[in-house]
Amino acid sequence: MPSPFLGVEDASVSFGQGEARVCALRDISLTFERGTLSLLMGPSGSGKTTMLSMLGCLLSPDEGTVFVDGVAVNGLSEAERTVIRQTKISFVFQAFRLFHSLSALDNVALGFEIRDAAASGREEMARDLLLQFGLGDKLHQEPNDLSPGEKQRVAIARALAGNPPILLADEPTASLDAEAGRNICNILRRQVDEHGRTVVVVSHDWRWEKFADRTVTLCDGKVEEEVGVL
Amino acid sequence: MKLALQNILHDRGRFSVTVLGVSFAVFLMVFQGSLLSGFLQAASRLIDASDSDIWITARGVQAFEFGTALESRVREMAAGVPGVMDTSRVCMAFAVYRTPIGKQQVVALVGADPGVGRRFPVPNRLESAAEMSPDAVLYDVSDRKQIEVNTLPSEVEINRHRASIEREIQGYGAFLGVPFLFTSYRNAIRYMDSGPDQAMYILLRIDKAYPVSQVQQSLKQRLPEVDVLTQDEFAHKSRMYWTIKTGAGGAILTAAVLGFLIGLVVVSQTIYANTMENIEEYATLKALGASQSFVARIVLSQALICGAIGSVLGLLAVIPSISYAKSLIPWIHAPWWLPGAMVVPSLAMCSLASIVSVRSALTVEPGRVFRA
Repeated sequence: MPSPFLGVEDASVSFGQGEARVCALRDISLTFERGTLSLLMGPSGSGKTTMLSMLGCLLSPDEGTVFVDGVAVNGLSEAERTVIRQTKISFVFQAFRLFHSLSALDNVALGFEIRDAAASGREEMARDLLLQFGLGDKLHQEPNDLSPGEKQRVAIARALAGNPPILLADEPTASLDAEAGRNICNILRRQVDEHGRTVVVVSHDWRWEKFADRTVTLCDGKVEEEVGVL
Repeated sequence: MKLALQNILHDRGRFSVTVLGVSFAVFLMVFQGSLLSGFLQAASRLIDASDSDIWITARGVQAFEFGTALESRVREMAAGVPGVMDTSRVCMAFAVYRTPIGKQQVVALVGADPGVGRRFPVPNRLESAAEMSPDAVLYDVSDRKQIEVNTLPSEVEINRHRASIEREIQGYGAFLGVPFLFTSYRNAIRYMDSGPDQAMYILLRIDKAYPVSQVQQSLKQRLPEVDVLTQDEFAHKSRMYWTIKTGAGGAILTAAVLGFLIGLVVVSQTIYANTMENIEEYATLKALGASQSFVARIVLSQALICGAIGSVLGLLAVIPSISYAKSLIPWIHAPWWLPGAMVVPSLAMCSLASIVSVRSALTVEPGRVFRA
């Protein structure tokens, strides 16, 4: 059987030791097909963010296997996992995590620089991305001068710099109002439909359901329910 | 590396403190370096001004300023050694100087034969010698206030002997706080009430056909009761005496090292505070795929930017300060390469100061990006 494009197999993760030990994920298997938008839902502490961390090569499971682009990554060194993140994965965060001292344009250009320090024309490419997201008039503004919706659009533009095939989003609409949230949902959906990216969204926001190809509900570190086409 | 620049510019207060710390360190290092350089030069200036190959001194003389009388036969015996082409006498002693208005003070009186060297400040060697009497007395321009001479020539007294001050010279100012007066050998021994042919130093020029070391060896054998040193050896001995044995050099060097350490602590603290304040951003960078070297470069660049700007400001402040200091400390000397050379330790200092910060940025766990 071929390895999954993105996913985990029989993965368990726990934190702490002794009596303080907490099991975040228990023997879980989940795969994500290329070119789909998957929604991970569940109550706090259900293991959603832990799952996202594993898929993003930021955390190795205690047991089991993590696949990224069809390759088992949990045996790789830190440097090798950095290269996987650099070339294949990008993140969108609830708190945006933009670089506060850089303008919107420089934030996105930095995304290009991280992925390919030698690439020329980073500013032009960053400008193009921001124009696509309707931020042409905000290029030189610092994050503190942007609205939450604008910040998240800049963060998505930064995440798309270098054209990574996988986008992992952690509560991307949690800090946004309804209109801005819907806008972000549309942008990420377009990444799947128009660019064939694989998007995994962790959210409590039920609005995402109609944009997702599949909804997986986690509870106590296990898959409780899967709804969708996959 | 725009992030590095913007991060430090974003917090102007901290950036100013860092730059000020580096400027202070550079200022102190260059200023103290100039003091040390000038001190070393001044400690052997008169020795270096001679054209002689070998200096004969009384046994154990540590520096030019502390010469004691040699027996007159030393000169004759030295002249007889094969390879010795020419001998000159130099005498030096502290003397009582009476200014034209009657004030008395101690001066260091130096007298030398004309053959001592082209740069050695004796009347017969100067370009304008023809306009002076052979027994003219010279003083350095930086000692004008102490010498209290308003017109030239001026009649003064040295050790109760009448003397004529006839010229101002440059570059041989007071090194011990006591002004130097220069005159001919013949005149000096008269002022010192010394016997004929008595000298503190016998200077020898060696025939090019003879190796200096070989002649030095012969002289040592023939004159075992005196020290026979090459010019470089005596200059080095004199410099070592003033810088090491008196502790003066150590004090100057300590201040320079202190400047370096203060700069190191200031830069280290501010860069570390900046890194810790932005630690979440370093975690984000790592999560986004930034390599360890990329992250290290950002922190190091911040330190080096502060180092470069601080160095320039430090140099801009120290160069006029040294020029001004020359009026108070005539022997202070900044070699042309010193300001530039001090940029290297200051950048090294900033790199060193960023080590702890680089370590913090490198060890931050990228997984923390999901903590809100």
